[in-house]
Amino acid sequence: MRSHHFQHDEPSDILRVAVDAGRLMLEAGAETYRAEETMAGIAQNLGALETESFALPTGIMASTVDIQGNSISTVRRIRTRSINLEKICKLETLTKMSGRHTLDSLERELCIIETIGLYPQPVPFFGSALISGFFCLLFGGAPLDAVCSALAGALLNIVRRWLASKRQPDFILNIAGGLYAALISALLVYASIASHLDKTSIGIIMLMVPGVTIVNAIRDLISGDLVAGIARAADAFISAAGISIGVGIGLQIWSAWVGLLP
Amino acid sequence: MNYITDALWALFATCGSALLFRVPKKELFAASLGGAVGWVVYLLVQGSAHSETVAALIASIAVAVYAEVIGFLKQKPATLYSTCAIIPLVPGAGMYYTMFEAVQGSAEKAWATGFATLSIAGAIAAGLAIVASLTRIIKLDGRHFRKSRGD
Repeated sequence: MRSHHFQHDEPSDILRVAVDAGRLMLEAGAETYRAEETMAGIAQNLGALETESFALPTGIMASTVDIQGNSISTVRRIRTRSINLEKICKLETLTKMSGRHTLDSLERELCIIETIGLYPQPVPFFGSALISGFFCLLFGGAPLDAVCSALAGALLNIVRRWLASKRQPDFILNIAGGLYAALISALLVYASIASHLDKTSIGIIMLMVPGVTIVNAIRDLISGDLVAGIARAADAFISAAGISIGVGIGLQIWSAWVGLLP
Repeated sequence: MNYITDALWALFATCGSALLFRVPKKELFAASLGGAVGWVVYLLVQGSAHSETVAALIASIAVAVYAEVIGFLKQKPATLYSTCAIIPLVPGAGMYYTMFEAVQGSAEKAWATGFATLSIAGAIAAGLAIVASLTRIIKLDGRHFRKSRGD
């Protein structure tokens, strides 16, 4: 089976398919070792020799060797990262089964997997409402705080989508989100609908915080992907900084123009 | 009673994240239940050990074992369940408080919060990694066992 592949498939084609699978993995938010295992698995099953890959959250470098011993290499840049577990699931299964696929059928499967986007509206709208509302309760907010938080969180999801569609970088999105969270919760408490400013706002903020990112960063560090781990940790701290700057500005604006914080 | 309501809140919050992370519809409940399991274990351990880091470690081990078992039963990768189920545990709020203190200019508070946050994140990552390694050993042994029996 393997020799059959090796006779027919060019090493450069194998490398292209394997690296595309790795790119899809990283774009779906997978850990570095998982993406590298995917690439190695596919390349091996298709019969490539001496394939090496070096994956980072922002890009992949990979190389393989053809029969004459010439090195072939390729680079893929990764610009968007959003967690998509169905994509990761399908890619894992495809990698396991890649021994039974030909290069063409693998490439076709990858094209199909690439089209799996996140759930369309209104699913993220309700998802955001659930996260904001129930985290507010988990942090000890009153039921009315949770309702405010849930509604504001659902609205934030729409605002962020709109800003993202205007090609704004994540840092700006986070500042805007933090600003929105601080101002809307101050407004709700000022209007005496919500009662706790801190608990209402943290529910909204939980939508943006990089909790999974910082855990994945340390997972990368533990498994020896030192550069990837540091890069991911930097990503996490930058997004947390963005949110905090937004909240800080929001609270300043509120206390300067409206008066004392409730 | 407190544990039951907390478990419910954690379950729904995890369900929300599962919707944003595109968990397949059939797996939504299993993934959300993992969040509740992790949070209850966290509260129980924190009540007796009085250490957030130890509680996060034990809870993430519980979550990872849960994810591996459900993943094995349903023949899906465990990451599908563990990524969602750690949501109530991950120190997202801690990351925010750290940077909030930092942009406010209180460096000492930022260091203290940051250190606590990183220890919790480290504990969760270590818990997941330990279970992943053990699973790998068990799976490899199982394969070896089947081979040696000639199946």
